[in-house]
Amino acid sequence: MEQSGDTDTGKQSNGHKEAKKEDLKTTECKLKELSSAYLSIIESIGEDCSRQGLLKTPERAAKAIIHFTKGYDENLTDIVKDAIFDEDTDEMVLVKDIEMFSLCEHHMVPFMGKVSVGYLPSKKVIGLSKIARIVELYSRRLQVQERLTNQIADALQNILNPRGVGVVVEATHMCMVMRGVEKFNSKTVSSSMRGEFRNNPKTREEFLHLIKKF
Amino acid sequence: MNSLESVDTVKFSSMRPDNSKIPKKEEENEFKTELENEETKSISSSQIAKSYSDILALIGENPARQGLEKTPIRAANALLHFTKGYTQNINDVVQDAIFNEDVDDMVIVKDIDMYSLCEHHMVPFFGKVSIGYLPNKKVIGLSKLARIVEMFSRRLQIQERLTVEIANAIMEALEPRGVGVVVHATHMCMVMRGVEKLSSKTVTSAMLGEFRNDSKTRQEFLSLIK
Repeated sequence: MEQSGDTDTGKQSNGHKEAKKEDLKTTECKLKELSSAYLSIIESIGEDCSRQGLLKTPERAAKAIIHFTKGYDENLTDIVKDAIFDEDTDEMVLVKDIEMFSLCEHHMVPFMGKVSVGYLPSKKVIGLSKIARIVELYSRRLQVQERLTNQIADALQNILNPRGVGVVVEATHMCMVMRGVEKFNSKTVSSSMRGEFRNNPKTREEFLHLIKKF
Repeated sequence: MNSLESVDTVKFSSMRPDNSKIPKKEEENEFKTELENEETKSISSSQIAKSYSDILALIGENPARQGLEKTPIRAANALLHFTKGYTQNINDVVQDAIFNEDVDDMVIVKDIDMYSLCEHHMVPFFGKVSIGYLPNKKVIGLSKLARIVEMFSRRLQIQERLTVEIANAIMEALEPRGVGVVVHATHMCMVMRGVEKLSSKTVTSAMLGEFRNDSKTRQEFLSLIK
């Protein structure tokens, strides 16, 4: 089974069209079983599942977690499609402050923040929105911030073969804010530098300077 | 004399404002020993962990990989922490921190951080709570106001009910001339899914007594909490 730890792209179904009917059945089954798990959780915390506000909560919570982990069912190739273009440019391209929402794999509690991505093209550029979609692909999973950062960087490195890639993620972890140490102002910052972003300090410095808040 | 029957203890209604019953656990736990509470928590924790283990497999993960091995129990303990309000009791939270004081000017504790779980999607919502009251010869320990917020927010909630529950609890404990509560919150169920509106905030308020009847009092409160 595909693990979030892989740098691979996500679960693959066996050919989209023929598996669609099977997928629908599987999805319904999955939803039912997830709802059942959430119903059990609600009962275990001592709530009254039959009261009006909670009647449909198991199903809503099940749909919510499916949405928060939809990255497992997506695929890098499908996301990027053919949005890679030949372009005679070699200056740094940045997409910064991309909102990111993920689930911490240790506590299954949200962590969220911003992702800034930069790369030095080597005759190929990528559609800008695809960078945000790549962030979505890897963040909509159970994650660890360090791994998420690396996966985004590796994905861009693999599909574009650029001269370098830099990714910086700044996030607030609800598992640190709502429980445990309860430090609500703390932010976690992780980064991943590839190629010239790693080897050339001036490139890295330019990237870090450009992503700072103005 | 039973300490629960001291003059400053208030009997609270067992019905919520929406007429749903307060979960059984809250009433049962009032007289449980600490050991019995710990045992109950341990059983709940394993039951919840089992459900989380099922959820991990259903979303397509591998529950046996290193990062996820202890996730079910961590997630279970996290959820129990987020819903610890059910096992708390207003008398225990307030204790004897109500004092006779000859003051009648507004008292405000503002921007109390609040973290709760939306009862519709079981996803966090969080923000700030501001509370004001007009004392009637009695004041409450200031930190108790924050503890009252904690008690009602650490549950499956909707923001409207949370706001009213805080206001009612203060009204019953202190019998002041009025209470005002304002809650500003961001709902992850609106931000991470559904309409995905990042900047939206939900604001609710509950005004009781003079805060409701006297517009000048209300105005003063609202301008002081800005």
